[in-house]
Amino acid sequence: MDTLKRVATRTRAEGLVILLVALGYLWEAHNVPEFYQVPGVPGPTTFPRLLGIVFAMAGLWLLVSPQDVRARKKAAGAPATAPAPAPPPVARRGFLSRVATGWHFFTMWAVILGYLWVMPDLGFPVATFLLLIAFIFLLGETRWHVVTGLAAAATILIYVSFKLGLNVRLPLGILGAWFK
Amino acid sequence: MFEHLLNGFAVALLPTNLLIALAGCLVGTLIGVLPGLGPTATLAMLIPLVFSMPPATAMILLTSVYYGSMYGGSTTSILVNIPGESASVITTIDGHKMAMQGRAGPALAIAAIGSFIAGSFSVLMLTFVGAPIAAYSLHFGPAEFFALMVFGLCTVASLTGTNVAKSVITTCFGLMIATVGIDLVSGAARYTFGNPFLQDGIDFVVVAIGMFAFTEVIVTAREVRDGVRAEIVKAEKIWVEWKDFVYSLPSILRGTFFGFLVGMLPGAGATLSTFIAYNLEKRICQHPERLGTGDIRGVANPESANNSASGASLVPLLTLGLPGGGATAVMLGALMMLDITPGPLMFQKHGAMIWALIASMYVGNALLLLLNWPLVNLFARVMSVPAKFLMPIVLVISTIGVWSLSYSEVDLILTGGAGLVGYYLRKNKYPIEPLILGLILGGRMEQAYRQALIISRGSNWIFLEHPISLALLIAAALFLLLPTILKKSKQFMAARETSVEAA
Repeated sequence: MDTLKRVATRTRAEGLVILLVALGYLWEAHNVPEFYQVPGVPGPTTFPRLLGIVFAMAGLWLLVSPQDVRARKKAAGAPATAPAPAPPPVARRGFLSRVATGWHFFTMWAVILGYLWVMPDLGFPVATFLLLIAFIFLLGETRWHVVTGLAAAATILIYVSFKLGLNVRLPLGILGAWFK
Repeated sequence: MFEHLLNGFAVALLPTNLLIALAGCLVGTLIGVLPGLGPTATLAMLIPLVFSMPPATAMILLTSVYYGSMYGGSTTSILVNIPGESASVITTIDGHKMAMQGRAGPALAIAAIGSFIAGSFSVLMLTFVGAPIAAYSLHFGPAEFFALMVFGLCTVASLTGTNVAKSVITTCFGLMIATVGIDLVSGAARYTFGNPFLQDGIDFVVVAIGMFAFTEVIVTAREVRDGVRAEIVKAEKIWVEWKDFVYSLPSILRGTFFGFLVGMLPGAGATLSTFIAYNLEKRICQHPERLGTGDIRGVANPESANNSASGASLVPLLTLGLPGGGATAVMLGALMMLDITPGPLMFQKHGAMIWALIASMYVGNALLLLLNWPLVNLFARVMSVPAKFLMPIVLVISTIGVWSLSYSEVDLILTGGAGLVGYYLRKNKYPIEPLILGLILGGRMEQAYRQALIISRGSNWIFLEHPISLALLIAAALFLLLPTILKKSKQFMAARETSVEAA
């Protein structure tokens, strides 16, 4: 266990993931049907194979490179020499407690991804209004009249200027029934 | 050539183009002032807008935003001690000290003058150097072009980020994304996993907006939570005395010159040019000990260097189709969407457009000077627009940018995914610029590779048998080794680190 801790760094884990992605990529290249390949002519998989090999080698390098371990040893050996921008003391905490303190960060991502997911169906105006409310609030504005007022104004302004000014087709979604 | 240039001016001075250049300079200055929002993200957001424009107008808009941002970045460096762009990091050293000593006015003025001189010089050089380089590169065959692109990608990988292996990984990842979709030669569907939406490939705008704009929103949002609000120094009178000007003129000229040389190199870009120019300045100038204590030359030099470099980076872009960094890569993508492939034939095929662009850059430089001189205090105040109101709007406009590409729900999901991956990459010091560059160059690179192999009947030795391509490949390898050689140079390492943080 101790040895594992010593050699397992984040960079190495990333190296492993990259290596696996590279192998998957090469495997998928292998799966391109034979009949696309004309003998003697570089086919659709020649270039991807080259890329996959370079990618795999770089991943392998991260996996075996001693750079990280050396840096960690250095940091452990001379802790007093690094006073400058001291990183916040992130102690080794459990996954759950990290999620709890980072809820705000995760919520932001969830809001963004949710917006991207439902915008085409829910319609641009409604989705954007909700997104803006959530985001402005998450960024620390708690006065509700400011939040809603700003969100409504921004939604209308953006909708009108992009739809009418620039002719971008923005979906009305559930509001569509009202305006018909 | 002067005939071409005059024709270019005729196009650039059309009311529409003039208005577009003015708007571009204004937007550029604003995003230059706003810390966080960089030129690359903004250019990616603007791409859907330029679809409907004629190519010359589109390029005028994109370039004016680009050099406008270089110009605006200095303002906040001086007045607030927060560099608006990574290319203005060096300016904070002397610039903000000058402001604290009550000399914000001269600092801003010399930054404006230096930028103007450097900007004009680089356009002038582009005028004279562009066409000959393009003519020379007509001798390039597919092997040479492949080697050239390898060289470009290697310089970018070497000069951005902290770890060459990581840069190689992101470059490669970008190239891999570029292979998704139907192979144009054989018609084979690659990496589509049976999804018809992926057959067209993944648009670079989708990835660029996800990785630059969305991650920027989140990063800034986190900084807002941590809450660091800086004080803005007000500049009283923006004027520089004659003796100060004479004192800093050699620094401006040196910054301009070195900035241009470094800027021409793909990958080096504006940020690195400021570090190199300032470093050289310290060795060349008289009284180097004054630099760093609020010396006016410490503003004049890097500000000239970054404007000169941003102009210079258009040389390889327009003549060889080789972008030097994130912002120029996005421009290349925009050009390709407008059905213009930059490269050796560009000056012949799209001469009118290039000359209009060059002419508009002369105009734009003058516009920036006129715009910034009276309004600089106003621009500095833009910084105090709270990020909590600005960032959500950036988010919505970026989404519209992706949506308007092809009105596809898959694009939106991919953008979200790109944002997540991009955030992880940024947080763990994997540079994103090489990824975008790889994604944009991927298609042409594969084409050149395959053509070269067809010529050589499948032998990879062709790349080593042609002298130009051999030289380029050796240079590329040397660049990859450069960080190992220069490990001791703190300045160099700092420059690379900055360029990864604020793209």
